Amino acid sequence: MTPRVNDFTINIATANGTGSQSANLIILHSMYEMGVPVSGKNLFPSNISGLPTWFIIRASDAGYQAPGDYTHIQVMMNKDTWDKDLNNLEPGTVIIYNQDAKLPVERDDCIALPMPMTKMARSISPKMAKLMANMYYVGALAHILKIDDDAIKAAVTLQFGGKEKAIEWNLQAISEGKAFAEENWDYESEYLVEAREKDPNSYLIEGNEATALGAIYGGINMLSWYPITPSSSVAESIIGWIPKLREAEDGGTTCAVVQAEDELAAAGMVLGAGWAGGRGMTCTSGPGISLMSEFIGLFYFSEVPGVIWDINRVGPSTGLPTRTQQGDLSMLYEASHGDTQHIVLIPGTVDECFEFGWRAFDYADRFQTMVFGFGDLDLGMNRWSTAGFEYPDIPMDRGKVIRSQQQMDAIENYGRYRDVDGDGIAYRTLPGSGLDPILYRGTGHDEEGIYSEDPQVYHATMERLKRKIEGARDILPAPIIREEKEKNIGIIFYGSMENTIVEIDDMLEETGLSVSTCRIRALPYHSKVNTFIEEHEKVIVLEMNRDGQLFGILRKELPVNLLSKIQSVAYSDGLPPRARVYSDMILETLGEVI
Amino acid sequence: MSILKLNVIDLEKSEYKGGKSSLCPGCGHDQISNVIIQAAWENGIKPEGIAKMSGIGCSSKTPAYFLGKSHGFNTVHGRMPSVTTGANMVNKDLSFLAVSGDGDTASIGIGQFIHAIRRNIDMVYIIENNGVYGLTKGQYSATVEKGSKKKKGTANEQPPIDLCAMAVNLGCSFVARSFSGSKKQLTALLRAAMSHKGMAIIDVISPCVTFANNDESYKSYNYVKENDEILHIVDYIAHFSPIEAVEVPAGEYKEIKLFDGSLLRLQTVGNEHDPTEPVEALRAIHEADKEGRHVTGLLYYNPNKKTATETLGLTKTPLMELPDSELRPSKESLEQLNKDFRTK
Repeated sequence: MTPRVNDFTINIATANGTGSQSANLIILHSMYEMGVPVSGKNLFPSNISGLPTWFIIRASDAGYQAPGDYTHIQVMMNKDTWDKDLNNLEPGTVIIYNQDAKLPVERDDCIALPMPMTKMARSISPKMAKLMANMYYVGALAHILKIDDDAIKAAVTLQFGGKEKAIEWNLQAISEGKAFAEENWDYESEYLVEAREKDPNSYLIEGNEATALGAIYGGINMLSWYPITPSSSVAESIIGWIPKLREAEDGGTTCAVVQAEDELAAAGMVLGAGWAGGRGMTCTSGPGISLMSEFIGLFYFSEVPGVIWDINRVGPSTGLPTRTQQGDLSMLYEASHGDTQHIVLIPGTVDECFEFGWRAFDYADRFQTMVFGFGDLDLGMNRWSTAGFEYPDIPMDRGKVIRSQQQMDAIENYGRYRDVDGDGIAYRTLPGSGLDPILYRGTGHDEEGIYSEDPQVYHATMERLKRKIEGARDILPAPIIREEKEKNIGIIFYGSMENTIVEIDDMLEETGLSVSTCRIRALPYHSKVNTFIEEHEKVIVLEMNRDGQLFGILRKELPVNLLSKIQSVAYSDGLPPRARVYSDMILETLGEVI
Repeated sequence: MSILKLNVIDLEKSEYKGGKSSLCPGCGHDQISNVIIQAAWENGIKPEGIAKMSGIGCSSKTPAYFLGKSHGFNTVHGRMPSVTTGANMVNKDLSFLAVSGDGDTASIGIGQFIHAIRRNIDMVYIIENNGVYGLTKGQYSATVEKGSKKKKGTANEQPPIDLCAMAVNLGCSFVARSFSGSKKQLTALLRAAMSHKGMAIIDVISPCVTFANNDESYKSYNYVKENDEILHIVDYIAHFSPIEAVEVPAGEYKEIKLFDGSLLRLQTVGNEHDPTEPVEALRAIHEADKEGRHVTGLLYYNPNKKTATETLGLTKTPLMELPDSELRPSKESLEQLNKDFRTK
């Protein structure tokens, strides 16, 4: 039988807090080290210790990064999910299990490979046996898949950087696991990894760390935050990098960090920083956005720059706090009461997390408004490949800020909220400057910033604000369009769905369809989106939520003649997107409309 | 030819004035606005160096009525402290002068108030405290005393939140209480608060003439005048003016040296009060409360507390003044970082 090379999915079932994450990352990194296109997904519970966790590793020469449709190799370490894990398996699955769980594996249709992992780990260190047991399945997988010893060693060294004893013990455990498998298992593997040429510049990094570094290079000088999964690691990563990258010559820091008392305060601090001429940012998730909404309206109406990153988790309410979704998009776009509209940047890769991390500040300063970065748990908390981040190619854009009397005098008929350039963006001055001081307010105000309830003044202000944000459409990151010659079916999608779209596209093209894709990277969406829709016969708007939130936005903003062309395919169950689920839904939807 | 009086930086008092008030005639808040104008002028603070901060409510409207040459932000209800915190982080050289009310501070904004104290934000925080929500037409607030009765409706049955006692407990570095009708005391305390580094709170009882100035209201003019428990007579001596001849015999006053070198002289009137002792401050508050009286004066003072920006170890230049080259790390640093990620 020809083995499947670099084309399989491993599911590792463990309990939270048992140290399995280290073992899982070692497998992931060792394969990555060999140049195998690989992705890892951590499905973890809202819990510190004890609840079930699954880690899914997919190797795919085709570059597919979603969890596959089938589990080819199942590792079983968790007694609590034992039966469920077993029952879910397709016939023929390879089951590597910890014999010391002392639970039956009654699946004659599968290949069951036992190993006394806890017992063996005890011989290295009785105290650490529970943690070390995980390294034995690393050894088992290394044997079955034929992972290079050097790659394993490199991955272990990366994982336990600098801790010599840990490196030694873990390598010993892995090699004992491998030896046990060689000696005791009579199984010729159907799954193999084969080294591929690896881009020497590439590495794996979590989206949240990429976003954090982007913010650091974007000149953030005030971070306020309130801990919430899955966004905390954005803030923690910024805090971690500040001493290295943002220290002034006098030894002081150039970025203030405040752990706020709640999300309301975090947003208020960003507002204060932006008003005073700084680059303030906070990061949160859906529940935090709900709390920040009052301030978001004040940003919009008083025209103060600021950046808020929403790393989406599953809502509504507390929802599934450790699962992924694109469920906050419509909330972000129109957050707060009254008529509002906000700029939303939507990265789909770690490179874009970095890029939009710094660009967000430029857009905020330029448009004098609050800018959202919109990620999700899948992109933010899992590791993805990059060939290295690119340094900002433009200087910081600080927008229309008047810093001297001379600049002020050059403007005819200055008023804080007067549109003298015709782009909806007025000039502002900073507190401390003494230049045209005004009392900023969330109440109605005229072009001078003076309190006003005048109907015409209010109406004109709201129209200008609309024009201002409209003006951002074609300045914000343009969509990424991959077009077929034959403009048959178009798919519009966004964000981390980028990591599944290639597989979805391939599945659809297998049925004979010609499929082009358009990844929206910002709201308000670019005018090229209209062209994309015009040029295709039928367009699917694909997203990871229940209601089709981008579909709703498009339906509101598209020209009427294009409305009949778009159809919504939206699905969310908390898990990272599986290509088959969406491709089936797309086919079903097309069946209805073709 | 009449020569207008100038302050130490050669400005007329008019330079510190604001727009016309739209509050009810006779409102205590307008008197406080006048005191703010007076204190800032007398202290010789550059108007453009001040940032006026407020939340929502009658009191929070007042920044439009003073210091017209200062920037300000009339923010949202109860959230002024966080906006001030953010602005303070990026520009620690601004003098933050915040005005809030009892609804803004003791109810919707109590969390942010507490955390601003906890961080010791370098700001003056004036609470214009009248025990009612004026803008929404006279509902009780959380600082109204049990048994106090506003003009209409029944007496309040809930115990009050004493913001000064709370601030003392939280270790606020400057805690004072005053009365909008005591112009001299309030001016001296406010000038001292402006000379202080760290968070300075002044809880100013400021009668609501429209909804709660009847004699059964514990925050009415008549009631406060008759029940003002004055801790000491306060005199402010600016660091730039010569110390006047001592008029009271030695031993009967204390002097407190403030951050900018100015002095606050506290002349004992009844029992001795040591403002450096939090327990004495709490005793003074609680004993007055038992008698249904309002204790006024400098309750507590601690000059040795680090401010929020000092604790953070920020670089000397205010962050908003840093050039882009200091905010964006070099291209080489990113190349190194990419390299480290590849090899580590």
